[in-house]
This record gives sequence, C-alpha cells and structure tokens, in this order.
Amino acid sequence: MTNGAQEVIHTDHLSRRFGNLVAVRDVSLSVRQGEIFGVLGPNGAGKSTTIRMLCGILNPSGGKGSVLGFDIKSEAEKIKMHIGYMTQRFSLYEDLTVIENLQFYGGIYGVPRKQLGQRIEQVLTESGLAPRRKQLAGTLSGGWKQRVALASSTIHQPPLLFLDEPTAGVDPVSRRDFWDQIHHISAAGTTVLLTTHYMDEAERCHRLAFIFGGELLDVGEPEVIVERRALKVVELEADKSTEAARLLRQRPEVDEVAHYGHLLRVATRGGVDPLELSRTVLSAAGIAMSNARAVRTTVEDAFVSMVREDDRRRASPEAA
Amino acid sequence: MNQRQWAIARKELLQLKRDRATLAMMVVLPVMQLLLFGYAINTDVRHIPTVVYDQDQSAGSRDLWRSMEATRFYDVVGQVRSYQEVERAIRSGMARVALVVPPRFSSDLKRGRTAHAQLVVDGSDPQVVASATNTAASLVAARSSELVLTRLSKVSGAKPQPAIELEPNTWYNPDLRTAIYVVPGLIGVILTMTMVMLTSMAIARERERGTLEQLIVSPVKNIELMIGKILPYVIIGYVQMTLVLFVGRAIFGVPLVGSLPLLYCLVFVFISANLALGLVFSTLAKTQQQAMQMSFFFLLPNILLSGFMFPFEGMPKPAQWIAQGLPLTHFLRVVRGITLKGAGFEDVVGEVIWMGGILTVLVTLATLRFSKKLA
Repeated sequence: MTNGAQEVIHTDHLSRRFGNLVAVRDVSLSVRQGEIFGVLGPNGAGKSTTIRMLCGILNPSGGKGSVLGFDIKSEAEKIKMHIGYMTQRFSLYEDLTVIENLQFYGGIYGVPRKQLGQRIEQVLTESGLAPRRKQLAGTLSGGWKQRVALASSTIHQPPLLFLDEPTAGVDPVSRRDFWDQIHHISAAGTTVLLTTHYMDEAERCHRLAFIFGGELLDVGEPEVIVERRALKVVELEADKSTEAARLLRQRPEVDEVAHYGHLLRVATRGGVDPLELSRTVLSAAGIAMSNARAVRTTVEDAFVSMVREDDRRRASPEAA
Repeated sequence: MNQRQWAIARKELLQLKRDRATLAMMVVLPVMQLLLFGYAINTDVRHIPTVVYDQDQSAGSRDLWRSMEATRFYDVVGQVRSYQEVERAIRSGMARVALVVPPRFSSDLKRGRTAHAQLVVDGSDPQVVASATNTAASLVAARSSELVLTRLSKVSGAKPQPAIELEPNTWYNPDLRTAIYVVPGLIGVILTMTMVMLTSMAIARERERGTLEQLIVSPVKNIELMIGKILPYVIIGYVQMTLVLFVGRAIFGVPLVGSLPLLYCLVFVFISANLALGLVFSTLAKTQQQAMQMSFFFLLPNILLSGFMFPFEGMPKPAQWIAQGLPLTHFLRVVRGITLKGAGFEDVVGEVIWMGGILTVLVTLATLRFSKKLA
C-alpha cells in the first residue's frame, strides 16, 4: 500500500457506550483505499460495535467518523448505498436458490435490471458457484454458503466491503479459497475491512488494528506490529513440560509460554535471548531440554503479549 | 413500487411458494373452517328430545302433544308414567323437555273450563329453554284462541274474527339458516387469523435467521421493507376471500345481493389493518413462535366479541367498547350488509371510517416501532 492512497475510512475518538458499559472507547483509525484492513480482537472486544457504527446502523455516543466521505451520523443512508456488508451468520435466505439470493440482493441494492443478469453471471463465474446456481442456499455446505454471502454482498460492486467474522465456522480449505477471493477483490480496487479472531488470518491483511476491551491497542502492518513488541521466540522440547512452563513463567523477562503438542513456545521481552534463558532456568531445575530453535514471532505472539500487558496495566493500582 | 419493494415482494412470494405447508394451510384452512362453521354451527334449535307424561290418556291430550310434535321442534322420545321418571329422563339427558298432562285435561276442555298442562324444561342450556318455552307457549296460545273462538261462534252464531293478527315477515334470510349469517362473517375471521399471523411471522423469521441485520445495513427504507413484505399477503387475503365467497355460495347457497366490486374495495382497508397489526406484533416478537402466540391471543377476542358468534347488542357495554376497537367488528357489518342485504357504500360508510381510523393508528404504531428496531 502506498501511503498516498485515498482515505476511505477515518474515525476520530469514536466511542460507544451501552448504559454503563463502554463497548468502544476513543478509537481513531484510518483505512486507505484498496487495502485489506483487519480488525483483530477477542469476542466482546468491540469489533462488531465498531463495524456497525461505520456502516451507519449504530450512532456513536462520542467522537466522529466518515466513511467514503460521508459522515457516519448524518449521512448514514448514503453510506448504506455504497458499501457491502457480510454478517457473521452469512444472512442468506436458505429457502431461496443461489441465483434467487443474488437477484434479491441485486434488487435491494438497486443494480439496474438490465445489468443485473450480466452481473450475476459474472459473480457466479468468479466464485465458482455457476454449477450450483439452482441449488437452495440452505442445502449448501458452510464454505459454499460463505461464497454466496460474499457474492451477495458484492453484487452491486461496492467500493468498500465490510466483513464481520467472515470465516467463522468454515473449513480451512474454504478459508484459503476465501482469502484468495478477498485479495482478488482488493486488487480490483475495493477496500475491505474485516473482523476476525483467527490470528493466521490477521497475517493475510495489509494492515491491522488490535482492539481489546473497546480500546485500540495498536495499528499498522502485521510485520510492524510484531516488530514493535520486540519479542524473541524459541520452540523447545522439555521433559516435564508443565513444570518447565511454570518455572519459565516465573521469570519477569518471559512474556508467554504456550504448549504446542510436545513443544513449548517461549517468548521473551526486552531483547533477552529466550534460548539462553530457558537453558539457564531449566538446567537449574534439572529438567532436560532438547530440539530448541529460534522461530519467527507471529501476530498471535504479539497480540497475546499486548493483551497480557493491557491486563497487567488495568490490574495495577497506578492505573486506577 | 420501486425496484427495492419489488425485490422484497418477489422474494417473499418465492419463499411462500417453497413453504408448501404454509401455502396449503392458507387454502385448506378457509375451506375447512367454512365446512365446520357452515355445517356444525347451527343456532336454530330443532328436534328437542321430549317425553310425555300423559295422565289423561284421552283424545284431547294426545291431540296436544301430537300438535307439538308436528312443529318438528319437539321429538317425542317416549312416554313416562310418573314424575320420578320425568326427573330421571331429564337428568340423564334422554329428554330436555317433558310435557305433563293432568288427568282432567279433556273433561276440563269439554266443560269449557281452563285446562292445564305443564312443560318442564332442562334449564342448563339457556338457548334451549327460550326456544322450548316460546314455541310451546305460542302453540298453546293459538290453539286456545281457536277453541275460544269456536265456543263464541256456538253462542253467538256469527263467525268471530281474531282481535289482532301479527304477520311476521323476515327479510334477507327468510329461512333463518345459520350458514347464511355465518359464512360471510367467516371471511372476516379467516382474514384476521391468517393476515396477522403471516405478517408477524414473516418479519420474526428474518430476525430469527439473522437476515434482518443484512436488510438493515442495506439502503432499503423502513417503509419499503414494510410494503414489500406485506404486498404478497394482500394478494393471499383476496384469494382467501374469493374462495370463501364462492365455496359458500356453492355449498350453502349463501347469496350475494350487493355489489361485489364494492366488497373487494372495502376489504382492502380491513386486510391492511390486519397486516399493520401483524407488523406491530412482529416488532414485539423475537421468534416466530412468539409471533404465532400473539396472533392466536388476538384471535380469541375477535371471535367472541366482534359479533361473529354472539349478537353485539347483547354484550355488556365494556365488552362493546373493546369490540369497537377490533377491525373485525366493523368489517362483519360491512360484509354482512353487502352480501346479505345489498348495502351500498352510504350504508356502511360509518364502519369504513372506523376501520380507516384503526388502520391509521396501527400503521403509525408499526412505523414508529419498526424504525426504533432498525435504529
């Protein structure tokens, strides 16, 4: 992404409270044209609330924002005309066929009747749905339903596409195909904003926003976010892995210890070499360690580290 | 109608087409109710089982109960020999009426004294009591005035004339057949039931399946969504009415005296009011099941208070006030007026204004509630 690209979404201290609960607090972000922008966070972090405000179906209780140049408060109806939106539940009419679903969404988004037939053929071909055009949507598998949902929400060729957890409940192969399609759409100039809590998917986005507890923790390219955490990670095998993990976690330099099958994944902060540290800690306890090797720091490592730090900050008395 | 409304209406029709069970229900239900109500509900009381305790056993006493039997109102099911037997017959339900003729009945008659007879009626069903006593009373009154007149003519030699003669003249339904009164009303009941239920469920279904969220994010306006959703059901309402009218005519000979086009125009107000109510329910119901329960809950006062089953005029005032708020109450007067009495627009305009008022209130309510849910 070039930084000179046009800004499609801009928010400034966007907030939303439901009664006493602050679902989204002071979120300021900017999404550029043509990028795949991932909003990452655990369930209940405020991702869906943020998306709903951007779509113009939920008024912010504080701050402001604009989408495609329209104000999210006063010009919500104009926003709705120009965006595509795919819900978590795919929102298909299960008792309609694939083609009838597409015709319906084409109709309510005002695709001119003369072009609609042609446009439907185009999306059917692109999504590989052509042979299943007459099948009832309810009889499709999760992956195919997702394709129909994506085709429906892009039938009017919106310049901006919102996907709310688009891959929930979809098998890995279908997810991979789905991401190919997303990149295809984005390459054609459409901006895509999606929410997910799958960390491997986060790495497929051009840029990411980490949301936790309604607050924006970090924004940037996945590599940059990971680098900013300055974590070092090793994978190793230890004899008594549970005991080894417990001992390692007691060290302040250790950010995270996670079990991966036989492996322990150890992450450290502040430039400390996790290999050296593990060797020292484990040999002192008389635990044998083998097959240790340095590995790449992932978005998941960075995210977990960020959430843990945020937890510690909230728990500490100085923060109160 | 714009493209968005068409898209919604078309989708709704397609879904309806796929939902065979609902579709069948919408056609079978009116016909089934028509047959049930048309055949089974008969408020004319006939063939009341009757026992006779004839203590006189004379030609005169036999004359009395045979003439009663001749009205076809009383079926003499047996003779009894004591008051205990009378009691047993009525208690067991073998008879609802008992005629007791005392021993001197015939001789009293011959001597020109007042002859007495007793009619015992089972009062547990008030409808039977009224008809049983009235029929017997008018029968006896007629016979006794006949006897008095004969006696008078014997004395005076001239042929005397009765003082007052009443000529009953029943208009519109001269044979007093219940089906003729019930069937047009049934149009209203069936429309109330299906229209409210179908619309309320149609929106509740979208909410239940998560498709409403997708519609809210789309550029579809509330009013477009509402109109697009209910339009197919208006068509169904017309189909149902046509079905009941013509099957009712074919099977029960229900007449259509008035203007059919007028009826088809005015029913639109009624159908719309029910659809608007369905929309209001749909904003309250979270699931299809709740929507259905609300619809049934609403149906009961309609059947009981609207004048469909019981005469409106006979109800206590508070019940009448509630009934005025039901679209069905007014539609019943319109549909009965047009089909049975040939009423014109000027005859039913008051009821149409009432329905229009209710419709306005419901549409306002639906719009307010609906937009709230979408906000």
